[in-house]
Amino acid sequence: MSPFSSFLSIAALVVCALAAPIRALEQGDAAPAFSAPGVAGGVVSLASYRGKVVYLDFWASWCGPCAQSLPALERLRREFAAGDFQVVAVNVDHNTALAKSFLRRRPVGYPSALDPEGAIPGRYGVESMPTSFLIDRDGIVRHVHRGFRAEDEALLRERIQGLVAAGR
Amino acid sequence: MRWARRVGSRWLLVALACAGCSSVRPWEREALARADMAWDPDPLDKALHQHIQFSKEASLDGGGAGGGGCGCN
Repeated sequence: MSPFSSFLSIAALVVCALAAPIRALEQGDAAPAFSAPGVAGGVVSLASYRGKVVYLDFWASWCGPCAQSLPALERLRREFAAGDFQVVAVNVDHNTALAKSFLRRRPVGYPSALDPEGAIPGRYGVESMPTSFLIDRDGIVRHVHRGFRAEDEALLRERIQGLVAAGR
Repeated sequence: MRWARRVGSRWLLVALACAGCSSVRPWEREALARADMAWDPDPLDKALHQHIQFSKEASLDGGGAGGGGCGCN
């Protein structure tokens, strides 16, 4: 191998190492705690929902499937409200005003944390938008849901049902 | 000295190569998700342009019908 091609391969390695993906959270991992300012003011903290089944949803106003998922999540929240179930959302818009105006147009009853720097999705290893984590009462990730389609609502309902029933 | 300069210039190239690369995380795609960043922001406009081009160029494919340059397909 000539010195120049060895140099090129080292350069390529360095570049690839820089672009290496972060580790995504999987089923069975503990959900990292976070607290961040909420869209409606105050602080949204994951720890305050310990003991409940939590559906943690990462969304943004510019993401089409996210807009589709919000009404479905609101329906699920209402459906399982009596079963210690809570939806917690993390908005990753750089411009938080966009998130606020989005929620004014399509209001939901669950809290949404604002994370314009993207620190929380970084810790969870979000690989696509939207990504959601179904977390059990002990804070363990039980299901990772990437993307969202209309037919996913039935699957999520089934999984939430299972977790809510398991803790009783 | 010449050796040091050569190594130095190579590392400069490596640094430049690194500076040119950036990984965009899924939650950072706000600008990329904008409609005006799409290859074809307006599908209707694209179809219209393609139709005109196929007719004028007498080209096949795309529109699904052969064109004779008459503008009537």
